[in-house]
Formats: sequence, structure tokens, C-alpha cells
Amino acid sequence: MKRLWLPLLLLLFMIADIFLGSVRLPAAEVWSALLSEESSDFVYKIVWNFRIPKMITALLAGMALSVCGVQMQTLFRNPLADPYVLGISSGAGLGVAFFVMGTSLFGIQALIPWLSDLGTAAFAWIGALSVMLLIVAASKRLKSNMTLLILGVMIGSAGSALIGLIQYFSNAPALKSYILWTMGSFGNVTGNRLLIMSGLCLTGLLISVFNIKDLNVLLMGEQYARNLGINISWVRNRIFVATTLLAGSVTAFCGPIGFIGIAVPHISRMIFNNANHRIMIPASALTGSCMMILADIISQLPGSQRVVPVNTVTALMGIPVIIYVIFKNRAVEL
Amino acid sequence: MTVTLDIQDLTIGYSKHTPLFEQINAQLGSRKVTGLLGPNGIGKSTLLKTLAGLIPPLKGSIQPAVREKNGNLCAFVSSQPPRAAYFSVRDTVSTGRYRYTNWLGIENQEGKQMVSKVMELTGIAHLADRNSADLSDGEFQRVAIARALVQDTPLIILDEPTAFLDIANKRAMGLLLRKLAAEENKGILFSTHDLSLAMEHCDLFWIMTPDGILHQGTPAEMEQNGIIKRLY
Repeated sequence: MKRLWLPLLLLLFMIADIFLGSVRLPAAEVWSALLSEESSDFVYKIVWNFRIPKMITALLAGMALSVCGVQMQTLFRNPLADPYVLGISSGAGLGVAFFVMGTSLFGIQALIPWLSDLGTAAFAWIGALSVMLLIVAASKRLKSNMTLLILGVMIGSAGSALIGLIQYFSNAPALKSYILWTMGSFGNVTGNRLLIMSGLCLTGLLISVFNIKDLNVLLMGEQYARNLGINISWVRNRIFVATTLLAGSVTAFCGPIGFIGIAVPHISRMIFNNANHRIMIPASALTGSCMMILADIISQLPGSQRVVPVNTVTALMGIPVIIYVIFKNRAVEL
Repeated sequence: MTVTLDIQDLTIGYSKHTPLFEQINAQLGSRKVTGLLGPNGIGKSTLLKTLAGLIPPLKGSIQPAVREKNGNLCAFVSSQPPRAAYFSVRDTVSTGRYRYTNWLGIENQEGKQMVSKVMELTGIAHLADRNSADLSDGEFQRVAIARALVQDTPLIILDEPTAFLDIANKRAMGLLLRKLAAEENKGILFSTHDLSLAMEHCDLFWIMTPDGILHQGTPAEMEQNGIIKRLY
């Protein structure tokens, strides 16, 4: 392991994420709460019921979105492809908009909080999955990946238009809770929700590992892949299933978190200087979780009482990377 | 000549209503370099892709049948194969071993030796650890040929392999193709617009003429019967 500093950095961020937060806790008390020694109930609850699940969620979300982004960029042979470009996040957003604003529109109120949370997640997932199925169906008829990418952008725009329409007709509280979802948060994923999200993400990551061999060949063009005897539509579908599981689940539970999926694969390529997916998949998982936990730490604005949306932080971290890639990278051809 | 590909009454094209070229009867043999000539748009690439199993034939048969999911009869090299940036030359060549590597694409000892041997043969051993994106067109064309060679197929089909090369690299490519036919027992079919290169390095010519006939013969025969003149 030449790049041992990266896992060490991740470990450092993980620990920092537990110790730092919008509520200032004495480090010694957090430490004893971690070791389950004598600590106040208040600190113990914050550490074990809030900060640790939040840290694990950020870890999983970072891995999932990055590994998803790597596969999208390879499949579409496009350095700017990511789960969002394909309209998956719009699909998820539309699902959530239907649920959050639709229920209030028809006078139905989800009275039990956990039911409304789970409903949000379920509808986000259904939305993401529907867009994915639409794209899989279309991909059988479309010859080139570029047209598929255009289709994804169009689906995304159609989704945004429909969301706008729903927003226009919805009431203020529903609108607010929808907007809150779009800002992204790791704080709501605890207990069973964390278990479900972990299960879905780990399944997606496992399928991604089995995609490695085919991804390497796809990087060199579909014609070459076909000549090697690879069944392209089967490989494509496997990549679609993996990416839907990864991006769909993260979006469902944490809201649409942008720019990690695009930026992290490029950062990993720069750090490891190797696009072989045997390196890229684990490297992106590692880099992505580092970045996501860092984004979470920053969004808590340690030392202040305020919290900024994690989506804002990932955008501000990711966008410079993307601009840097566009200007600097002569190897990237659009 | 050992026949490795027997083509009978083949019709090629993308749609049954507008076939590009009909009634092709030809044979490809091992240890021979065959040059495919003809004007632009006559269907050279389509013929090559059909023979490589990348496009289904509209009619007729190719024996042994090249099925779409079968990559072990014929390796295909396009004129400007897409490159993977940040991908080392060795890893690039190694992807050609797709059907022999394990589920993660990792080579066994035998496979590693074969990759090294082929890189030696194609003159790219010194580039092994370079980033594919940094190579010149001539160097990467050799990488693409090495990648086709490790597929271990009796036939290699190349679509205008010299189109983007300078004079020195064109000549080197011709010599390499001849060497592969003679030393590795490969049957080689490539399309080109470079007549002097083809005259120098090919054992056989296939010439597609606008009257819908695929003429076959040695370069000397083709010159004698005036078929080559009809190209220009």
C-alpha cells in the first residue's frame, strides 16, 4: 500500500466527525461515551444516537455516490456523466415532490413522523427506479451512449418542470419540507433506516465489484467489447442496477447530494494515476467517503450553533474540482 | 493455404432493403496477408465488421460461423481505437485476454507471459508502464494490435490500420503484419487506401469495384488484368 495516507485520513475524519458538531461537547466526555464508560446521558445519546449514525451515513453515501459516478463515466465514456446527469436525481425528486406535496394537496397528513420519513425515502426510490427503467428500456433502442445521455438530460428537465408544477399548487409547509429534503442531510438516517440504506448500498457496491472486469473493457469502446464477446446489454443492465441501488438509495434517504459523483472519480484518478477499475472502484470509495465526511464536518460549522445544508458544501467542494479537470486535463475528450 | 474463413453468397449492409454489396464469395487463409481495396463508401468497413461478427450478415454464410458472442475466431482492430486515459499499456493489452482471465480480470502466470511476449513481438515492451493516452498514433496502433494478438485468434481483421500513420510508421505496420502472418500463423485481412503499401506487403488482394464484384488475386495478377487501374 503506497497510498496508506488516504485510509489514515479517512480514519481521522471519521473520528473528527464524532468529536465535532453543532453542539459543543467536551472531548473527554465524548471519549468516555465512546468507550461506554461513565458519561452523561446527554453526551452518550448525542454520540451514539446521532453522531455515529450520521458519520456512518456520510461514509456510505460518499462511497455509493463515488462508485456510482465512476461507473457512469466509464459507461458513457464521458468525464461529466454522473447519477444526476442521467435524471436519476430528478426522478427521485419528483417522487418526493409527489409524496410530500401531493399528500398535503389531497388533505392527507402523514401524522406519524417515521411514516412520512419512510414514505419520502420510498417515493424517492420509486422515482429513481422509474427513471432507470425508462433509460434501460430506451437504451435497447438507442445505438449510442451520447443519445442516451441527452435522453437523461431531457428526463431531468421534464422532472424539474413537473416538480415546478407541483410546487405551484402546493401549500407553504409542504413546500418547506420538500425544500428541506432537497438540501440534503445525513442526520435523519438512524436505526432501521440506516440498516435499510446500508443493505441497499452494500448490495450496489458488491455488484459494482463484479462489474470491474467489464468496466475496464468498456473504457476502450463498445466495438472492442463486442469483439471480445461481451454481451453489452447484459453488462449495461448490471451497471444500471448497481447505480440505481447506489444513487437511488442515497438520494432517497439523504436527499439529492450533488457533485460528489462527478468530482471524486477525477480526484481518485489524480491521486492514484490509474484508471484501471480494480484500483478506481476501491480508490473512489475511499476518496468519496473522505470527502463526504469532511463535507459533513464542515456543514456542522463546528463551534457555532448553526448547520448549513450538506448539499451546499459538496457543491462548493466539487465544482472547483470539475472546473480544474475541464481546464487542465488534456486526456479528457468530450 | 489452410482456409480459416469460407464466405459463401454473402450479402452485407445495415438494412435488407438497401444491401451494400451482394454475392460475396471468398476465402481467407492462415499465414497470408490480404489487402482489401476499393473506393470510399463501397462497403469495405461493413464487410470487415461483418466478418468480425460485429454486424450480422444480411444473407449468405461465413464458415466457421462467427457468432456475435464469440470472440475467439477473429480479432478486430479499428483505425482509431478509443484510448483509456490513465490506463497503462500493459493493462490495455491485458484486456484482450478477457475470456481467459478470472472474474476480476487478473491474469494467471501463463497469461502474463503471453502478454509480455506479445508486447515484445509488437515492439511496445518499453512502453509497458506508460499511460495509453500519452502514446503517439503509431505507438497506440501497435498496442491495439498487441491487444488483438493476445485474444489468440487465428484471424486478425484491421480496418485501415495505417490511416493515421506517417510514412515510417506505415512501413513498420506493413512489416509487422507480414511478420505476424509468417511467424505466428495468423490470417490477416486489412483495408487500406495506400496502394504502394498494399503492393509491397500483401500476399493477396481483395478489390471491391463499383460494378458489385469482389475481385481476388495476387497483387501481380490484379495489376496484369487491369483491376487495379479501375480503382483510379
